[in-house]
Amino acid sequence: MSAMADKEAIENAKVLMVGAGGIGCELLKTLVLTGFKHIHVIDMDTIEVSNLNRQFLFRKRHVGQSKAQVAREAVLRFRPDVDIVAHHANVKSPQFGVGYFQQFNLVLNGLDNLDARRHVNRLCLAADVPLVESGTTGYLGQVTVHMKGTTECYECQPKPAPKTYPVCTITSTPSKPVHCIVWAKDLPFLKLFGDKSLSNDLDVRSSGADSSVEQEEASFFDVQDGESSKAYAARVFDRLFGQNIDIALKNEGAWKERRKPTPLYLDSIWTSEEKYDERADHGSENGHENGSVQEEKPKDDGAALSAMTGLGLKNPQEIWSVKDNARVFLETVRLFLDNRKEELGRLTFDKDDQLAVEFVTAAANLRANSFGIPMQTMFDVKGIAGNIIHAIATTNAIVAGLIVLEALKLLGKDRGASRMTYCLEHASRKLLLMPCEMDVPNPKCYVCSQTPLVLEVNTKTVTLRDVVNKIARKKLGASFPTIMQGYNVLCETGDDIDKHSAAIYEAKLDTKLDALTPVPLVNGVEITIEDLQQEFSCIVHVKHREDFSEEEDDQMRLGGLELLTATTTVVAKDTDVALKATVDVHAASLDEDLVMIDGENAPVVKRKLEERQEPSQKRLKT
Amino acid sequence: MSGGIARGRLAEERKAWRKNHPHGFVARPDSGPDGSMNLMIWQCTLPGKVGTDWEGGFFPLAIHFSEDYPSKPPKCKFPAGFFHPNVYPSGTVCLSILNEDSGWRPAITVKQILVGIQELLDQPNPADPAQTEAYQLFIQDPEEYKRRVKLQAKNYPPPV
Repeated sequence: MSAMADKEAIENAKVLMVGAGGIGCELLKTLVLTGFKHIHVIDMDTIEVSNLNRQFLFRKRHVGQSKAQVAREAVLRFRPDVDIVAHHANVKSPQFGVGYFQQFNLVLNGLDNLDARRHVNRLCLAADVPLVESGTTGYLGQVTVHMKGTTECYECQPKPAPKTYPVCTITSTPSKPVHCIVWAKDLPFLKLFGDKSLSNDLDVRSSGADSSVEQEEASFFDVQDGESSKAYAARVFDRLFGQNIDIALKNEGAWKERRKPTPLYLDSIWTSEEKYDERADHGSENGHENGSVQEEKPKDDGAALSAMTGLGLKNPQEIWSVKDNARVFLETVRLFLDNRKEELGRLTFDKDDQLAVEFVTAAANLRANSFGIPMQTMFDVKGIAGNIIHAIATTNAIVAGLIVLEALKLLGKDRGASRMTYCLEHASRKLLLMPCEMDVPNPKCYVCSQTPLVLEVNTKTVTLRDVVNKIARKKLGASFPTIMQGYNVLCETGDDIDKHSAAIYEAKLDTKLDALTPVPLVNGVEITIEDLQQEFSCIVHVKHREDFSEEEDDQMRLGGLELLTATTTVVAKDTDVALKATVDVHAASLDEDLVMIDGENAPVVKRKLEERQEPSQKRLKT
Repeated sequence: MSGGIARGRLAEERKAWRKNHPHGFVARPDSGPDGSMNLMIWQCTLPGKVGTDWEGGFFPLAIHFSEDYPSKPPKCKFPAGFFHPNVYPSGTVCLSILNEDSGWRPAITVKQILVGIQELLDQPNPADPAQTEAYQLFIQDPEEYKRRVKLQAKNYPPPV
């Protein structure tokens, strides 16, 4: 205990807590009960019903209110003498700059997304304030400690990007349920209800097809003049699950090594009697259902519409028959067209949109059925499509406790005592909590060691906008990127940029890199990418390359990062490292009711943990 | 590459300005005819001080930096023919802190330069005249000088 802070140090400490959700509620409670007196809380979210099962500082009456403020009030009720400042704001907003961070002894993260974590990491480095970082995913959790120059920063190990699937697997040769779900969500859902003008990677690229075919393809999903929503639904059904499969079958080469898919047409689903019933049914149902929907729900409450209830399908954990899936498909299309007209053309998939989940479930299952892939329940589809892992309150509580323990060690000035700790689902060597020493900073980290990166890019096809959005924002995590080449400012972003300059920058964004003036960004040119607020800066060397594979359709690859990635995939020599590698998969995600993780990763991780366990159990026996 | 120091410093100046600058002042990298933005030239606007004859005017000023910045000072230019005793007919500002041989120090920031020039507007230095017209009116006909200053302020209305 000597390493821990004494009472006075705790009472005088000023800490910043970022995130007042699942971990945050537990953390704020544990902090004040430990004796902390000066706490700032930042959270931009408002309370949702789905939070209430574990974010125990919130009650039903608080739904819609600021998490930070309600959490503060709830804690003040049992610890009125504590000084808590609540900010209902985005931690990335300019008011929380380096100067703001410098007033704290410690920063404690209970965040739910990679972007904000990277942002806070950079501000903590710039302000030289120790950061305790945390995350949970179901039973798994982790707490890490980041001290500038002493331990690795949050970005010293690259975080794996969400898994993507090869385009051809999704469009032509699915082999797993998830392929069908991704297809349903990205292709038919967006084609029917989303922004049709958005180019989509999944557009059927009929290479060699003449333009009239593509034209036809593009307008096919428009509702024709005088076409009823039911007729439209049926026409689209036959196209998606019938004709498209028939077309795919013509490419015989593709099916030599694979099971051939079976086209599915509406006519083949109903018996002739049912066909009749179905029509009658629908007729009466329509009238009835429309009436009841309008009675019960306010008209604009589109998310509450449901096709399955109307069809008598009550249990979301039951697998529907092909026939039921077809009925749900037709009915969801009809409901979208008839009852949610004003949203058409701009819908995006949302896991909390009941009708959208029903549509995706039905479409995915119908496709799965054609390809001989097992169908899924709506509950499972929702989980996979929304990348959901259910949060566990106990994990959050454990993690919050670990955060406070690390905070006490940091305040006690015995920095050597800091540990990163993993929570496991299954005991390893009889331990559910695995403490490990933090690594030293990675000398190749582009965030805390300013190592230059290499951007391999097709400078003839890629625009400055691609570099700003896909590299500076997405890959490097800059919130408001500035890009410079020597004395030339290629781009500045942020609220402080005057309109005149903003217009000049905007005008250049769609220029190809090799056409930029006065200095084209071609092979060998060096640029700097910076973020003013984060005090983040890195040097990027441009390297021209044209031979990108089809999967790298951005025509860009940021290198230097790969070197780092390699270090995490090295075969683990001891359990701690192995667990770290697996648990880190989740580093990007954090407590939420539903955590964003890649649907594929969940089973993978579980399997790895189980595999690991067996040898360790053997070890125990011997 | 000697330009490295100047570039690094200018990038820092730009950052510092974006984070915090005096109210009413504008300073941004210059945009060339090809739409490129260059840190070597800054286009600025400085407001006439409230309570002086210069009030209401928003005067355009270009700051030209060289590769030798910050060991050498930048050159600051109003539009040619700008009416002020310490501004050359070309528009170049004559001010001690902008003179390599007298007041310039590498630590002087863009903000200090702009505020210094704003001060100079209402407090010309008759010991160091740079144009005859404004200088002579300032010395010999204060009323006419005042009128000309106010007229000039009107000719530079606030930027929209």
